[in-house]
Amino acid sequence: MLGLLLSDAARVVAWRRGRPIDSRTFCGDVARIARSLPERTYVLNVCEDRYAFTVAFLASLLKGQTNLLPPARISGICEEIASDFPDSYCLSDNPLADLNMEQVSLALSDEVSSPAAGFPEIDSDHVAAIAFTSGSTGRARPNIKRWGSLEMGARLAQRRFGLHCETTPTLFATVPPQHMYGLETSVLLPLVCGLPVYAGRPFFPDDIRTALAEVSRPRVLITTPVHLRACAEACLEWPPVELVISSTAPLSTALAARIEQVMRTRVFEIYGFSEAGSIASRRTLDGDHWLLYDGLSLSAVNGDLFVQGGHIPAAVPLSDVVECLEDGRFRLLGRSSDMVNVAGKRASLGDLTQKLVAIEGVQDGAFILPPSRGGAVTRLAAVVVAPRLGERGILNALAKRIDPVFLPRPLRKVASLPRNETGKLGREALLALLESAEHRR
Amino acid sequence: MGTLTPLESEVSRLIVETLNLPDMRAEEIDPDAPLFGQGLGLDSIDALELALAISRTYGFQLRSDDAENTRIFASLRALSQHIGHRRTI
Repeated sequence: MLGLLLSDAARVVAWRRGRPIDSRTFCGDVARIARSLPERTYVLNVCEDRYAFTVAFLASLLKGQTNLLPPARISGICEEIASDFPDSYCLSDNPLADLNMEQVSLALSDEVSSPAAGFPEIDSDHVAAIAFTSGSTGRARPNIKRWGSLEMGARLAQRRFGLHCETTPTLFATVPPQHMYGLETSVLLPLVCGLPVYAGRPFFPDDIRTALAEVSRPRVLITTPVHLRACAEACLEWPPVELVISSTAPLSTALAARIEQVMRTRVFEIYGFSEAGSIASRRTLDGDHWLLYDGLSLSAVNGDLFVQGGHIPAAVPLSDVVECLEDGRFRLLGRSSDMVNVAGKRASLGDLTQKLVAIEGVQDGAFILPPSRGGAVTRLAAVVVAPRLGERGILNALAKRIDPVFLPRPLRKVASLPRNETGKLGREALLALLESAEHRR
Repeated sequence: MGTLTPLESEVSRLIVETLNLPDMRAEEIDPDAPLFGQGLGLDSIDALELALAISRTYGFQLRSDDAENTRIFASLRALSQHIGHRRTI
């Protein structure tokens, strides 16, 4: 793979700030950054710019390091991960404020680097990255990603979506490179398959439109239902996009149809989860059957379903309930009750609750997912027993430890929680408690 | 906190109504407090919802690379000033 990169020095690797960056420049940047990195086992790669992230990613791999990928760019979360992986440092193009660990600033210069002499191949067993997901125990769970597995995942996606470097489709993504979906589609897919990638992370619909218009066709947009809904409602004129890929949450057929119309495109979805990576795809408008990536299969053991094959060496359990169909196809039926999805970000209610009750002064508490109101994003709610604390203070403490989308709206103080004799909290009882707390205001 | 200008009051009501914020009344938003992170505690989903409401109400699209953009969400005051400059309705 690295030989492919070097052999064609003029190939465009990225579009950054309106200009193309060629392979020769990229390799020079990687070599230069690699020389500047501290000698550590792990690096918390929190670079925001996609090109910077990719340079940092490859440079650290060449030094034999492992990239730790936090679920959010929040100091408290990074420090917690670093406490489990002490031989680490934080690397970013936009340093985190108030971070209590070694932090190295990544600076890309405009000077032309001298050409790289040559890169060693990366061993396929090397642990390239560890992606952290929310477990139910209050501590982030590490998911090991070896280089060979990441490389193969990229090739499976390339094959499934028909993306070949001869046609040079440029990839644009609204998702962060630290999230498994963003890592696979906007870092590894371009790197391994030789496709140019847009270095920025467009946010508002007009940002996305402007970015797409900066590079000529063909264009591929990698995004989520939250962003697609914003784009559909913005009533903008869109440049044609050859392919739109959505993931992290289910996409409605109505929204897919709207996007296909306004962007003159076809909308596909990827189904995956951090433990396994991407495992299947579908064209939303073709129906509710998903097709596993080539070489993958589902198997049932004692009533639980596992996925294996392709880039997944050891069987991984599915967290969704799934109906198996023939020929590698399946239908999604629902989610296990502890895992929730807020605007495409996944968390464990148990994990969030642990973080709430860990706050000094909180005696008891629980996060709840209220029933969906349809349309707008359903926010989590929480009840808390904390006689000496104010709601604002508790929210501020939570904000240091969890992704802001999971902050409860509302957070309600109550006298006690309705636990049964075994100490368990029923969802119905919690919802009733929340409702009565609302009425008392 | 000081009194809000008419536009600041209007934008404050837009924020509270668009985002369905529990407990927050439009008059209570401190015009100089941060909107994101601390202060009002808004997040990226709110930013998208607000951008849509602003485009419908004031007729222009929010962009991340507006020269002042690092500041426009700094506070209600900053956001209202930005809207005042760019509104077409």
